[in-house]
Amino acid sequence: MTPRIDFLSFAGRGVALTKHLAVFAALMALWEFAARFGLVDTILLPPPRQIAQGLIQLYIENREIYWHFWVTFLEALGGFLIGGGLGLILAVGSAQSPSFRRYVAPYAIALNVTPGLALTPIIIAWFGFGMSSKVALGAIVCFFPVFVNTLIGLTRTDEDTLEMFRSLGASRWQTFLKLQVPEALPITFAGCKIAITTALVGAVVAEFSQGTAGIGILMQRFAFALDMSSAIAALLSMSLLGLILFYLIEILDDLIVFWRRDRRMEAVGRRRQARWEAGLSKSRD
Amino acid sequence: MTHLIRALLLGGVTLFAVPAAAQQTINAVMPKQRSANYFPLIVAEALGYFEEEGIAVNLLPSDTPIPFVNFLRNGQAHIAMMDSAEVLQAEAAGVPVNVIYEVMQTAPDGIAVSAESGITDVAELEGTVVGLVSDRDLVTMQIALDARDLTTDDVTVVVVGEAGPTLAAAFRDQTVSAIAGSGPDWLAIQANGIAIDLITPSEVSAKPGNTFVALDEGIADNADLLEGYLRAWSKGMYVAKIAPDVVAEIARTAVPEEWEDPTFGEQYLANAIRLNVSITDLAGDLQTQVWSDIQPAMQQFGLIKEIVDPAQFLDNRFITPANDWSREEVASEVEAWREANM
Repeated sequence: MTPRIDFLSFAGRGVALTKHLAVFAALMALWEFAARFGLVDTILLPPPRQIAQGLIQLYIENREIYWHFWVTFLEALGGFLIGGGLGLILAVGSAQSPSFRRYVAPYAIALNVTPGLALTPIIIAWFGFGMSSKVALGAIVCFFPVFVNTLIGLTRTDEDTLEMFRSLGASRWQTFLKLQVPEALPITFAGCKIAITTALVGAVVAEFSQGTAGIGILMQRFAFALDMSSAIAALLSMSLLGLILFYLIEILDDLIVFWRRDRRMEAVGRRRQARWEAGLSKSRD
Repeated sequence: MTHLIRALLLGGVTLFAVPAAAQQTINAVMPKQRSANYFPLIVAEALGYFEEEGIAVNLLPSDTPIPFVNFLRNGQAHIAMMDSAEVLQAEAAGVPVNVIYEVMQTAPDGIAVSAESGITDVAELEGTVVGLVSDRDLVTMQIALDARDLTTDDVTVVVVGEAGPTLAAAFRDQTVSAIAGSGPDWLAIQANGIAIDLITPSEVSAKPGNTFVALDEGIADNADLLEGYLRAWSKGMYVAKIAPDVVAEIARTAVPEEWEDPTFGEQYLANAIRLNVSITDLAGDLQTQVWSDIQPAMQQFGLIKEIVDPAQFLDNRFITPANDWSREEVASEVEAWREANM
């Protein structure tokens, strides 16, 4: 790509970003104006200025958000790793064995359609106080997206490619590793993106019911005290955490499923070529 | 023909009959729907005191984490039951709340331990795991510990949850040494077969529990409605002073689900009578000094940011009218009800 095209692309993105920022600034100004002139209830919907003050208080002045942020992050991540891991394992087993799938699928569907909120008291009774109940609820609610997406990905392999693998004498294990898994990875990661944000929701719901730490508790405390600017600041922090978790999976997706993006494909191709050439010259020596 | 004339006459009389006085509906939001915990309501309904005032009570659904003051602000409720912390927080948020009646002049909050634990004082909780029914009970625990020169750093605090079986299991398995909550919580524990003792320091209980609150504009628009409601409530409260057995009988009929275990029902009601019957001479009277005394501890533990002059939110205009009724008349009505129903 020539420097001129690079510059045009960068400038284009800059213009788009400026437009987005302008719209955002206009909305905030409108909201502030409405609050100042009594058009909105400032107790229930504080103006942007007060929410900004709430954010400053949380992150800079009393800094209590960091511990709660970390607790909820761990709960969501732990729930995702357990629920997602279990979903992956069961999906692989179901893909390899139709009988296994027949027995597992009904339970997976039943678990998915049971509202997480209804399960909360039972989960808390089983897993007790502390983080374990939040992790457990997160794991339960995020299991299904990973399970179903992985299962679909593993069972919708291209038939012609499968036939080619068979004709080349590939073993079942080779077919699984070199064909089914690469074809399933994009849709599996799509499921993981849904799952990790769902795990966050599960963790926060469990915090609302029974918790002493976490962003959910923090938001609840502020809302009970009618400190709505801090409550909204905590809510925004929850959204930020969700974005962080989502983009963690996005980064992993980018690294692992590199063949979907030309730029990454080129970079990986160049690295592999360099390694192969280095290996060749070593063997010649 | 005769029948036709009679029918026409009857229809005509009906048309011109003086219509029955229309009842006004008061929308109230309270932590529980009809319950022995707030027996003045069910007693006043059973004895017709609300009807006498021309009032029908509509209780709004209250099982919500949303602060009740929001139902006053959006006009759905005329009157709300709020505890002292909620009142002070609403005042701090700039909501024009007015405490017009003290429902419980002793706080229902406290600290309970298993009767088998041998713990007799909050000081013995140091180094143990203590439970909260909900996160909002943290301040109760902080005030209790502070009364014995301890802090939450000296204990491990966990939230147990609100379900009775969960609370009972926490004591049975001794996963917690004490629980901070309120009357209905440990009565629920006892209903699950666990005997408990209360070790609540006076610093925790010596504050108003629940209060009736209305907003400035609510008072201006509905003064008669509020006055009649509070007068009927006061009469219902008085019945417990002179005839607690009648209150028990009314509660058995009005809230049978709380009497499935008769022993639990009696204990629950006895606790409710202790909390609801006013300690002041006038029912529901506002204790200005107490409201001043409780605020430093609340400020210390972050429940409120600033001390507020109680004169800003206490409004005693309804106290005298709420107590303006004949005790003898209520006593004879109670006896008449007893004869008819017991």
